Amino acid sequence: MRALRPYAEPHATGVCLGLVLLVCFALTGQGLGASGAFASVASGVIAAVSPETAVHSAYFRSYLQDGSPWTAWLVVEIMGVLVGAAASAALAGRTRLTFVRAVRPSGGRLLAGLAGGMLMGVGAALARGCTSGLALSGGAMLSVGAWIFMVALFLAGFLAAPLVRRLWP
Amino acid sequence: MNDLLIAGGIGMAFGCALECAGLGDPPKLAGQFYLRDFTVLKVMLSAMLTAMLGVFWGGRLGMLDPSTFYVPETYLLPQLVGGLVFGLGFVLSGLCPGTSCVALASGRIEGAATMLGLFAGVLLVGLAFPAIESFYRSTPHGPLTLQHLTGLPYGVVVALVTVVAVSMLAWIAKREAAR
Amino acid sequence: MRLMRRLGFGALALGLAAPFVGGPSRTQQRGLDLDSIARAIDEGSDHVSARQLAEWIRDRRPGLRVIDVRSPAEFHDDAIPTAENLPIDQLARSRFAPDQTIVLYSQEGAHAGQAWVMLRALGVTHAVFVPGGLADWREEVMSPLLPANGSPAERAQIAELSHYFGGSPRIGGEQEGEVAGAAQTARGLRRRGC
Repeated sequence: MRALRPYAEPHATGVCLGLVLLVCFALTGQGLGASGAFASVASGVIAAVSPETAVHSAYFRSYLQDGSPWTAWLVVEIMGVLVGAAASAALAGRTRLTFVRAVRPSGGRLLAGLAGGMLMGVGAALARGCTSGLALSGGAMLSVGAWIFMVALFLAGFLAAPLVRRLWP
Repeated sequence: MNDLLIAGGIGMAFGCALECAGLGDPPKLAGQFYLRDFTVLKVMLSAMLTAMLGVFWGGRLGMLDPSTFYVPETYLLPQLVGGLVFGLGFVLSGLCPGTSCVALASGRIEGAATMLGLFAGVLLVGLAFPAIESFYRSTPHGPLTLQHLTGLPYGVVVALVTVVAVSMLAWIAKREAAR
Repeated sequence: MRLMRRLGFGALALGLAAPFVGGPSRTQQRGLDLDSIARAIDEGSDHVSARQLAEWIRDRRPGLRVIDVRSPAEFHDDAIPTAENLPIDQLARSRFAPDQTIVLYSQEGAHAGQAWVMLRALGVTHAVFVPGGLADWREEVMSPLLPANGSPAERAQIAELSHYFGGSPRIGGEQEGEVAGAAQTARGLRRRGC
């Protein structure tokens, strides 16, 4: 196994990320996002499985009214994220195939990931955005809601951290 | 079509930046909450500062029109509660929605588990939506910004946020140098 | 370390200079362009019928945004499918993307018409309203009167649209009497204020 190459300097990478966000604003008038893609896909699945449920819930309806949820802007963007991250990790020799080789995470870690994902899904849906869509993009536009979300996120994170210490030795 | 090409391109750059910073690595992200690894704060604050200053100065120099940019709407209570629930999930999984995709793309199966959870989470909210709709729509304040809230000029708020963020980054750097 | 310091000082310099250069965008005061409003009203490009709106919703017209300007309580009671609730007092604080088609409606149409003027004042020119409001929607889409002397194709079209939204068309009988009756029930429905 090759030695993993170190990650880039965080401040410089942060500036690059900020520039990507800026370009995104300039080209589309909106910021980046991630959780919206999950909501689009979920709405698409529900609409395909049971159209009645989809029409009944204003949440799903809001994601279905602008054309196909499968080609929503954020869904395509997330596809791009997958491709870009895979390329970057492969080029830098940082790909770690945990599902094929050693260092496989424990079942508990996977379960925690699943539960954490679910909580984040609920939280992001309630807050209308996640760390990228609301905290980062909204924070840069000085949105009050984005800052409240960010403060609440870190508050809960720091408070809950000692409780799940066993997960992160 | 053109729009979707932009989406793909922006997404690729976004994923690449996240991966380079190491944000696809759950123990690294979780380390933030144990004050072991400050990468998350460093990247987030620098990115936000860059974008905020870019939007302000781009607008000032006439290259951008910030008044047309989308400002997320503020819903006080849902966003407060959402943030708390989100933070809890963040520590549990060591990933957030964007970085779960990065984790999966760099070969970490935890990323797939978190993505599955996220999917289930939004599905749950969508299915239970008629019951929670009144809460979801409570305390609306429209696209409220800090400058509207405080009544200060845009430039002053930008300066204040810059000072706070840079001091935080400087404090982190000092703390790390002392180690 | 040096790079970090440079970035930090750069950010500080840009940030601290910000208060002294004024606003980032020359905010143009948007007044009411009365001529263009008069023209839109004259041409009829300011409104859209309930049936036309129903067709747009059914055909998933891209960028369609249906806005209910009534109170949340009224909205909760009954609303046009896919509509979002944006009470009139929140209208001025909202943002509208330039590529959307905004359709406003209220109970009977007066408030939607007023909201349409408000949006004009905000510089939104891609909005229309439903003159008859929700009352028209109920009458023309949910329980439309199939014209007795209309062609079968026309009747089928109206019925199909109504069925799509879960409505049930009424069959027009001996015209006069039936129509008068329908007008009567319609007047009953329309009594609910704006």
